[in-house]
Amino acid sequence: MTLIKEFTKGLIKENPVFVMALGLCPTLAVTTSVENAIGMGLAATFVLVSSNIIISLIKNLIPNKIRIPAYIVVIASFVTIVDMVMEAYLPALHKNLGLFIPLIVVNCIILGRAEAFAGKNKLLPSIFDGFGMGFGFTLALIIIGAIRELLGVGELLGFSIMPASYKPMLVAILAPGAFLVMGLLMGLMNLKKKD
Amino acid sequence: MKYYVRLGLVLLMITAIASGILAYINSFTKPLIEENRNRQKEKARIEVLSEATKFDSIFTINNETVYCGKDKEGNIVGYTFIASMYGYSSDVKTMVGISSNYQINKIKIIDQKETPGLGANCINPDFQTQFNKLGSSEMMVDKDGGEIASITGATITSRAVTNSIKTGILSLKKRFEKSNTAKEVTK
Repeated sequence: MTLIKEFTKGLIKENPVFVMALGLCPTLAVTTSVENAIGMGLAATFVLVSSNIIISLIKNLIPNKIRIPAYIVVIASFVTIVDMVMEAYLPALHKNLGLFIPLIVVNCIILGRAEAFAGKNKLLPSIFDGFGMGFGFTLALIIIGAIRELLGVGELLGFSIMPASYKPMLVAILAPGAFLVMGLLMGLMNLKKKD
Repeated sequence: MKYYVRLGLVLLMITAIASGILAYINSFTKPLIEENRNRQKEKARIEVLSEATKFDSIFTINNETVYCGKDKEGNIVGYTFIASMYGYSSDVKTMVGISSNYQINKIKIIDQKETPGLGANCINPDFQTQFNKLGSSEMMVDKDGGEIASITGATITSRAVTNSIKTGILSLKKRFEKSNTAKEVTK
């Protein structure tokens, strides 16, 4: 029961982007289209789950004072492994996702979960927490990406949605659009929480 | 004091293990990655100069090999080279196929890490087909007064592609002229 709770809390109640405001740099950078959002979300989820597993396993071996550098080494190693293995065995996928992989290192959700959860909990809850947070992150990216792609290009996942007479709002896929869409969505979530 | 030495040693151990694992994985993925890249380049060469059936490397310019494409009878149909220039956030590499009179046959962007959704759109066919059948003097983006329509929100990437092709063609031309005069002198 509690395991399921560890999973679902990441989706909405403790959504890393909208509620905890973590990992905003990659969120702003890659949400120009739904396709990019899915790619970044899934790659980050994989690294998040892997690093949660390793960190919950070795947490007792790491002295408290050096835990942050140790976590960073684990995360950066995983990102590099994903990058190399994917380029060697799945070159087609790497061509699409390759752009996002280095961005995962600077994603503070992963370090945040290592510090706040995996460093204090057992293996199984850490895995569920990783998946929950990863999917919550992916969900947030997809929502922002869908709005920006629809307004900025008039398409969703590359398919034309808007009528031909629609003139794309270019600002939506540029940097200011990212701030506007995310700010409005966060405000909306807070409004709903108050009720 | 002893405590701090221990901290350093633990951290050293963690980084040593991590780099050991990475070195091991790198040792068997590196040749595969190299092979994939070469295969990709080969495919790109055929794509940008589809009339050629055989490619011979002739010389290198800026560490990239220039290939001479020949048809079945052994006639030279054109050349391929890789144009490269730093765009907005990465080196943008383009495989360029040109005919023997230095007119572009086709281009294909083979490597770039530009901003997703903006500069990365340079791999779209809409942008790349504009270059077909143009010469080096027409290599200029619309913002600079040329004909090449730049990608929305990514003039810098468009300019990098366009200008790198221009320099590529010009340096190839120069190289050929130099070797031609050399030949005439020896005659």
